Amino acid sequence: MGMRKVAVVGAGMTKFMRRAQETGRELAYQATKMALDSCEMTLDDIDSVALGTAPDAFDGVHMKGEYLSDGAGAWNKPYMRCYVGGGTGVFAAIQGWYQVASGLFDTCLVVCEEKMSSCKPHPQGAFLTIFDHTTERALKPNLIWIFALEMNRYMTVHGLEKKDIARVAVKNKRNALDHPCAQVAADITVEDVLNSEVLAWPVQRLDVSPTSDGAASMVLAAEHVAKRITDKPVWIKGVGWSLDTAYWTNRDLYYPKYVESAARMAYDMAGIKEPRKEIHVVEPYDPFDYKELHHLEGLLLCEKGEAPRLTADGVTARDGDMPVCPSGGLLGVGNPIAASGIMKLNEIFWQLRGEAGKRQVPGQPRTGLAQSWGDLMQVGCVVVLGI
Amino acid sequence: MSLIERLGTFGDAKVWYDNIPLESEYTVGIAGERFLRAIKDRGVILGTVCPACDLTYVPPSMYCERCFTQLDEWVELPAKGTVYTFTIVTRSLDGQALDEPEILAFVKLPGAHGGLVHRLTTAKPEDVEIGMEVEVVFKPQKEREGSILDIKGFKPT
Ligand SMILES: [Zn+2]
Repeated sequence: MGMRKVAVVGAGMTKFMRRAQETGRELAYQATKMALDSCEMTLDDIDSVALGTAPDAFDGVHMKGEYLSDGAGAWNKPYMRCYVGGGTGVFAAIQGWYQVASGLFDTCLVVCEEKMSSCKPHPQGAFLTIFDHTTERALKPNLIWIFALEMNRYMTVHGLEKKDIARVAVKNKRNALDHPCAQVAADITVEDVLNSEVLAWPVQRLDVSPTSDGAASMVLAAEHVAKRITDKPVWIKGVGWSLDTAYWTNRDLYYPKYVESAARMAYDMAGIKEPRKEIHVVEPYDPFDYKELHHLEGLLLCEKGEAPRLTADGVTARDGDMPVCPSGGLLGVGNPIAASGIMKLNEIFWQLRGEAGKRQVPGQPRTGLAQSWGDLMQVGCVVVLGI
Repeated sequence: MSLIERLGTFGDAKVWYDNIPLESEYTVGIAGERFLRAIKDRGVILGTVCPACDLTYVPPSMYCERCFTQLDEWVELPAKGTVYTFTIVTRSLDGQALDEPEILAFVKLPGAHGGLVHRLTTAKPEDVEIGMEVEVVFKPQKEREGSILDIKGFKPT
């Protein structure tokens, strides 16, 4: 396609937390400074900045991209902000990727931030107004019950029980015990999930990721620069993204076709023919436990309806045959919307470099994938990384 | 031409009224906390210094936006400055005439590369000019709450 190779050469993130004292700009700075320091680069080495952040309403700052720009290292640089709801994190990395792949710039910072604690009385109030103002908003939708409709459909089509899904929350919250930035790591059981408060059947309290404050950043570089910076570049092998209809009543809820489209685009670019064999570690988007299963199926990493069994069999455990969310995911590390997508990419970066510490999956993985999802539940964003 | 443009009143077309019901609670941040506490407790204006770029940030920032150094050097700046530019406002946010015009000025503080935007109090509009010397007027200490409005404004010296 005439595009240049692009490497991830640095990664950083703040702790994810319920309520940060730092402003959004300060969070962006901390994550970005850490990413630059991790590869011994300075702002002078950076050509452009791609920022991702979700609804302005969370931080309570209109034109949040401009507000965050100096904390993201964008002073006096070409800068863009992108936004596809929950999918923003991985999408922002794709924006950064093509700035370098195109040959326009040699280096690009990708920065994602969210400060949801600013939003009162609850960030769900910001979600109310993402839906159609005439036909849906009158019913006071929130994401919990919208997702409950999708989860119920997924469970019913495949004949699943709640315990089949709860195992994901148990796995991810336990994995997060080893993540220094984790907000809601916990050693819980399936029973704990099944006994937690019902929010909107079948969604219960422990099925859901928290609201969070945090930021995460990565440094991208063209091949000739990456090789100067590090002897362990992690290459962006493939990217893909796709949007389905914004009218969620016009599509099958049990299967995320748009994630499949995004995955196929990324696999084609990466030359991946058999994803289940060629992807060694996976970070699918898991704001709800059933979404990890839903997305593994959409990513063609198992058959439709097969993901719960793989989970029960331990295949997706950190020491399993296909580790899924070794970071602890959004369910364990936390979910500052846009930042959580970069957290996932950073995890794959550290896993492929063998730098994930106690979270390191066995077997020296060579190829990994991060995926995010969001907008009106109809966007899939996929990045395949490899060494 | 849409229906609405052809109709004399909205009442003839179907509409749905709603709002975006949100409030925000903003932390003032790591640098902001120290800045506002100094105003509240001591009635002084603080800035942060980037030695590498030879810049002093007011309001203070925890980092230098140009070189990304974390800024740990804090300085107390004189509570006075020079009017860099100003305007005289005669209408409110929703377009109503104000009883009294309000003078807003961007004041450069000596030693800082930036400055503060605030009201210019006790000055007559016809007397204000760019370059005039002004000083900070703080509220009495017991009325301060740790807000930028603990500063009432600037007045001519
Ligand atoms: Zn500096």
